Amino acid sequence: MSYSLFLSFTDWNGLAPHKSFIGLKNYIDFFKDPFSYVVLSNNIKWLLFALSIPTILGLLLAIVLNGPIRGRIFFRTIFYSPGIIPLVSSGVIWAWIYNPTFGALNSFLRMIGLGYLARGWLSDPNIALYSVMVTAAWQGVGMPMILFLAGLQDIPKELYEAAKIDGALDYHLFWYVTLPLLRETFIIVISLAIINSLKVFDLIYTMTWGGPGRSTQVLAVWMYFNAFQYYKAGYGSTIAWLTTVLSMAITIPYIRILSRR
Amino acid sequence: MNILDNRALKILGRYVLISILAIIWLYPLIIVISTSVRTQMDIVCRGVFKLPAKIIFDNFSKAWDLGNFSIFYKNSVIISFIKVPIGIFVSALAAYPLAKWNFKLRDGIFYFFILGFGIPVTVTLLPLTILLNKIHLLNTLWSLLFPYIAFGLPFQILTCRGFFRTIPDELIEAARIDGCGEISIFSKIILPLSRPALAALFIIDFVATWNEFPMALIFIHDDRWKTIPLGIMYFQGQFSSSYGVINAGVALSILPVLFVYILLQRYFVEGTAGALKG
Repeated sequence: MSYSLFLSFTDWNGLAPHKSFIGLKNYIDFFKDPFSYVVLSNNIKWLLFALSIPTILGLLLAIVLNGPIRGRIFFRTIFYSPGIIPLVSSGVIWAWIYNPTFGALNSFLRMIGLGYLARGWLSDPNIALYSVMVTAAWQGVGMPMILFLAGLQDIPKELYEAAKIDGALDYHLFWYVTLPLLRETFIIVISLAIINSLKVFDLIYTMTWGGPGRSTQVLAVWMYFNAFQYYKAGYGSTIAWLTTVLSMAITIPYIRILSRR
Repeated sequence: MNILDNRALKILGRYVLISILAIIWLYPLIIVISTSVRTQMDIVCRGVFKLPAKIIFDNFSKAWDLGNFSIFYKNSVIISFIKVPIGIFVSALAAYPLAKWNFKLRDGIFYFFILGFGIPVTVTLLPLTILLNKIHLLNTLWSLLFPYIAFGLPFQILTCRGFFRTIPDELIEAARIDGCGEISIFSKIILPLSRPALAALFIIDFVATWNEFPMALIFIHDDRWKTIPLGIMYFQGQFSSSYGVINAGVALSILPVLFVYILLQRYFVEGTAGALKG
């Protein structure tokens, strides 16, 4: 790791025996390059997505599955199973679903007479990132669901009964009993979402390769391209280090919360 | 009567909602299977939603032989079955003193280990590549073994430590008084009592190792040593428009993990929730 920090201050190309020290130049270059902001904004979009859709859907599923319902394990298995298959496979599965000519999504739209909505889901720079997010939601909803389920099961039933006797309505129970008591679970889910959204790699790499153009480029893939494809090892290390600093800023408080108990 | 109707409606609504979502979630996997048993002609001419005109398994044998899938399988199986037991054993060995002994630097060492949680794999890729190249391990299965073990440690140590702490101190004290050494306490008391936690870790780690992609992508270039995720990437390039063969490859890549998960999901779910909640 320290070696990578050292590299981030050099102009090394990854092959030559010579490395010259160039100080903060790589860091300045990163912030000067307008494209860096495309990359950063893609990661931020990803973060906002990760905090909202999988989290809310996971909570919703957990609440439904925690209620009186048959086949709880059956449903839980279904929603979690995309989360355990290789991300690369998820990417390839959805690339097939998004296939412009024969894919399931466009075929379905044409079948129900909405053919004008059919498009190249991964080749249109305006929507490619969101198409990948749909895949991420499909594969990522299971983890928050399981964590919320575990959190819900820790809430004592007596609390609900007491509140009901006091005349609380269903949504009161949700706002004043369930949500506050899930605080710790929320901290875990949110921290994981932030850490993971800085790590996004596999899905972007398999589904869009950062493209079309460079429209879906994210930090991890951009770092990979620089360090291993463009022979800019120094610049790649800079991107890696910026990512690490961001990630640590989230991880350290998270670990503190975890180990306080 | 009215109240009853209302409640029945609510329950029905719940089932309808969850069933619709479940179908959406399951559908991509169904498509993989249904595409993998159809001929190219069948898929292209009749469309993706039709049931197979005739079920064929040619795609699977093509993927297995022509697509080198037998090699990818072998590599993934080898790496998983070597890495997972070693990694868990090392973590347990490290977690025991961290959980049960009192020494000065204990908390410091513990934080140091779990700080690894926040280190993105990407930041270590380049230095690791250089290091592995220097010791001539790059482009072999060995190049995956050591980094995989190292990156598994934070999560596993955290989980093991959490579980070991629930083992009563009196048990260990009693064993010490009876003349047990630390090693036999570890192997005869701690490990057997932690079987559920270790089983959970085993499964979670098996899945994570099977699925790992970025490190394999960078460390392995030789077709002989590619693991399943790399194999799938290679497939996408090689058979880009043979939809049946690609989906057969995908099916082969996901079936083992799905099988392990469905069979052992109780451990899996409890382990994941338990570990992350500390």
